[in-house]
Order: sequence, then structure tokens, then C-alpha cells
Amino acid sequence: MFKKVLIANRGEIAVRIIKACQELGVKTVAVYSEVDKNTPHVNLADEAVDLGDPAPIESYLNIPKIIESAQTIGADAIHPGYGFLAENPDFAQACEDRGIKFIGPTPRVISLMGDKIAAKKTMMKAGVPVIPGYHGVKQDNVSLIKEGKKIGFPLLVKAAAGGGGKGMRIVQSEEYLGESIESAKREAKSAFGDNTVFLEKYLDRPRHIEFQILADGYGNVIHLFERECSIQRRHQKIIEETPSPVMTPELRKKMGDAAVAVAEAAGYTNAGTVEFMVDGDLNFYFMEMNTRLQVEHPITEATTGIDLAKWQLRIASGGELTLKQKELYQRGHALECRVYAEDPSNGFLPSIGTLEKVEVPTGPNIRNDTGIETGMEVTPYYDPMLAKLVVSSEDRGETIRKTIWALSHYVVLGVTTNIPFLKRVLEHDEFMRGNITTHFIENHFKDWTIAKGGWLPVDAVIALAVYDSMHSRGDEIVRYKEADPHSPWKHVGRWRMGAGV
Amino acid sequence: MFINYEHENHVYNVTVERREKQYFIMYDNTEYTVEAEEIKPGYLKIKLGDRVIKCVITEGDKEKFVFVDGDVFNVKPVELTGVKKTKEKEGDLSSPISGKVVNVKVKNEDKVKKGDILMVIEAMKMEYLIRAPYDGKIKKVNFKEKDQIEIGEITVELTKK
Repeated sequence: MFKKVLIANRGEIAVRIIKACQELGVKTVAVYSEVDKNTPHVNLADEAVDLGDPAPIESYLNIPKIIESAQTIGADAIHPGYGFLAENPDFAQACEDRGIKFIGPTPRVISLMGDKIAAKKTMMKAGVPVIPGYHGVKQDNVSLIKEGKKIGFPLLVKAAAGGGGKGMRIVQSEEYLGESIESAKREAKSAFGDNTVFLEKYLDRPRHIEFQILADGYGNVIHLFERECSIQRRHQKIIEETPSPVMTPELRKKMGDAAVAVAEAAGYTNAGTVEFMVDGDLNFYFMEMNTRLQVEHPITEATTGIDLAKWQLRIASGGELTLKQKELYQRGHALECRVYAEDPSNGFLPSIGTLEKVEVPTGPNIRNDTGIETGMEVTPYYDPMLAKLVVSSEDRGETIRKTIWALSHYVVLGVTTNIPFLKRVLEHDEFMRGNITTHFIENHFKDWTIAKGGWLPVDAVIALAVYDSMHSRGDEIVRYKEADPHSPWKHVGRWRMGAGV
Repeated sequence: MFINYEHENHVYNVTVERREKQYFIMYDNTEYTVEAEEIKPGYLKIKLGDRVIKCVITEGDKEKFVFVDGDVFNVKPVELTGVKKTKEKEGDLSSPISGKVVNVKVKNEDKVKKGDILMVIEAMKMEYLIRAPYDGKIKKVNFKEKDQIEIGEITVELTKK
């Protein structure tokens, strides 16, 4: 095992990894930018290195500075967490070059999976289904129509330079293909100045389901079942659960085998995640592989009892993966909610400020992975995710109810968070039924705002009045004209000044 | 006690009376009688009939955050309707409201102590007290009884001791 690990990250994931190291008796080094100086991950680690300027490129993305810090302080390994440098092959290579173990797969594998088209080709060769599509250079209508017919219908025509649904057409059948290609091209040209289009099979009721992988340096590869991650906003996951409500034992076996095949085909080592799209008829297609510990890894830990962060450390230090596929099983259900400092009623825009009060819910099978505390500043420099709430229970319904309870007791005051929004999603009938797709948020919560019609609930008004009454110094505004028999103050309790608007 | 709260461009008028642990709240034509205690700073447990409201309130720089049942509301206390809120700063003797001067407690050259009442201004059937922010001597009283005073106008000029 390593002697000392530097964690090249911040926030909840740095805290998570430091704790795993501490459990294994490994010394830890945190890094921080000057705005993160007094945050939990820094305080928890044995040592900490100041990276200076808060701009990510100067701090958490600064490869030379981080490598040099690791060398100076005598760290023999670096854990990259997720985000920042976690999937940067140059960083993994730089670690290797300086004799520091990078806790993750090899630079070659990271590069391969970073190239989405090369990755898909490798997977096709390994017999793993990928979304049929055409991403070629031939852009004349005759060629595109020919390729479109090969893919089949419904299919998606999308602008290569695309975004925001512009230059995108869903084509239901062959007779509309020609005109859809032309109109998509026109729209792409005017929106992006580039009329190149791609063709892809359109997935009806698409879900995002991924499989967790562990692989060691001795050829042992296992999967730790699926995670359903369809609930997304702006293409980022906000709620994940396992098992997936649509999973069957047969499909799980097929997808799990495919995920293992993906890892084997890539020569993968350490923890990784194979992402699939699954359509309404439960056909699945390889999308990409994430060569790191995922944000949502705790739900797998909650249902398998396996500590993924510790296995990452063991595998990276040359240990053998002693877990056997046939000995693994899922128990109960687990759900993760990502708590973001953002405003769901305002386009999920990040919110910054001081955390005036933080108190997370606790109870049986409620896990909080957080990197925040009362008094901390939420700055605009980094990802607005503050914490993860991970709840597990015996079955899906009970897990949802328990999570709703936990969210109702999750206090984060000072910045706007998505907690009320998360609660509404979980309470939604279609979510309860498990009818979820990657379009769930845009279909059901398009113009959602926190207080319908802008009204404060009566409970909040009562609470405020009680609070202010308790805390008022009481002598600044006083009643007067006690002699006036018609004074409204004589009638407090049965009288109201102005309307409640 | 009469309070206005502002939330999402709506103003909420509330009156609250306290008798030990009991609070009588008038809001939107309804009276709520509750029993309340502060379990720990900012954490309230409010009994309303057979219902218990548990909430957390903290004060930010300008606003209050109210946490009730997983929802958070950002509320600003506001001055009386139609009256702009003025910034309170140390030693500010400007009128916080537009109203009528109903009582002038001091005259020129008077010596006052911090906290002494200098002037009483009435607006919307409420009195607002102008207090001495520090020990000093009255340089000039700018208004007399029954004068109309506008928001922001200097009530009394006070020389710091």
C-alpha cells in the first residue's frame, strides 16, 4: 500500500478519498486554491499544499504545480477524484514519468476512451452494440439518404456544430428523410455557419444506464451492476438510483457481460464506468466509458457493500482484485441526490454566497458525502455541487420515501439550492412509477418555480413572525394613541392592515 | 408588533403579539395562536393546533432565510408600504420614514447620552423613535412638532462628544 497519497481535487470527493486513505492507514495530502483554504477537505488531510490562484487552470488543473507539490511533499501516488485532471492522459503520463502512481487506468486507456469515435470502433470490434449512425464527410443528399436508410427509422439528423436542439430533426420514416436533411442543414447553416450534419438512430424513451467496473493488473475484471442515471438537467445527472426500475435479470446479465467486454477490450485497470443508452424496448448501446470514480459511486457501495475508493487504492498499489463476480449481489435499493448551489426556477443558474447554516439529515442508511460546512463561502470558481445525499432501503418505494424525508430535513441556508426541486422530482407520480427517461426534467419540470405564484406559505409567515417577535428589541416601533378608541391597535388579532399582497 | 415581509415582489403584512410562550399572529384575515420555542439558535418548534411546524431561520446580510419542510424562502423585512428602506449606518440621524414629527424631546445645546430619544416621528399610525447614536451635544434641531418630514431628511444635528 502507498505511504502517502496526494488528492488532486477539492470538495466532497476529496473528503471521500481522504477518508478511504485514512481507513487504510495511508497519509494524505490535500491541495487547495486560496479560496478553499479553510474547507473540510483541507482540514481533514494530514498535510495540505497551497496552489494559489483560484482560477482552475492555475490551481486544480495545473499539472506541473500539482506534480511538483507531490514530489516535494513525498507523495508516492496521486488520486485525481473526478472532474479536473481525472481523465487527462497528459496528467496520468506526467505522474508516471515522475515515478508517482496515478490512481486510475493507464494514460493509453484514458486517451482511447477520450476519443469517442475511436472508443466506439474498439467496442464494435469487441462485439458491443453502439448507436448506429453516420458521422462521415460525405455531405451530399444522395450519400446522406443512403446512409440514413442503412441506419433505419426513426432517426435523428443533427448539426455537427449543434446544440440546443437547433439543426435537429427526428425523422419517422424514409419519405421525410430528404426534406429533413435539407431543412436541418439550412437551420444548421444559419445557426452555426456550418451545415455539416450527422445521422444517428433515434432512441425512443431513452434511458441512461451505466455499469460499474473494477479491474486489476492481473486480468481480473468484474462489474458491480447498474446505476440508472436518467434524471438529468442540462445533460448533467441530478438523481441516480440502483437497481434500475426497468432492469431484468436477463438484461443485467447481458449488459454486465458487455461492460466487462468493454473493459477487457480496452485493457482497463482500476475503477471505471461503462455508460449505455437503453431505449424503450430495452435495446442497449455503448455510449462511452468514464475512466474514473463516478460522482454516483456511493449507490453501488450502498447496495453491494463494497468500498470502491478503497479498491482503487488497493488495485493501484498492485493489489489483486479478490472479489469474484459470482459472489457479488445487490441488496435493497439506493438513491443519490446531488445537492447543487443553483436555482432551478432560474435555468439552474449557479448561486454563490456564504453558507449561513448547514445541517444534513442523519439516520439509518442515510449517507452524506459533503465538502461544505456552516460559514463556508461558495465561490464562482468551481462546480456548484455541494454535497451528495445517498439513501438506501429495502425497496424502491421505501427508498424514495426515506429520501423525501431526508430532503425535508436537509438544511442549507445562504445560497439557493436545488433541494426543493429534488424533492418535487421524487414526489412526481411518473418518477414514483419508474417511468423515467433522459427527457424527464424537460418534459415534467420545464418552467418549474419554487413558490407557485410567488406566495409564501403560511407556515413560513408564522415562523418569521414568531422569530422576529422573539428577537425584536421591541422599542423601535411602538404603538401609540392608546387613547384613541378607534385605533386599529386596539383590535389586533381581529384586524388586518392592507391586503396580503 | 407590525411587520412587513417582502418575498418575490409580494409584501406580506403581519402583526404578532407575544405572551410568554404564546404568540398571536394576524395574517391574511386569520388569527393564528401558536406556542413556540427556540430549541437552539435559529431552530423553532411551533405548535399550531395539533400541527407542529419545525423550521430554521438564519439572517444573512440583508435577508432572512426560512427553511420549512425542505423548502427555503428568502425574505426581506421591509419598511412601511411605499417607504423606501434607507441604509442604517452608525450615527445616522436621518428619518427612516416619511411622516409627521409628533414629539421633539431635545432643544439646541442639550447634552444627550447614547440611546436617548431625540425625536418621535409618526407614520401609518406608528411611532418611530430617533435615538442618539452616541453621547454628544445637540447642534441643531431641524424640525418642530407637527412638521412634515420626508424620508432621508436629517432630524437633528448632533456633535459627538
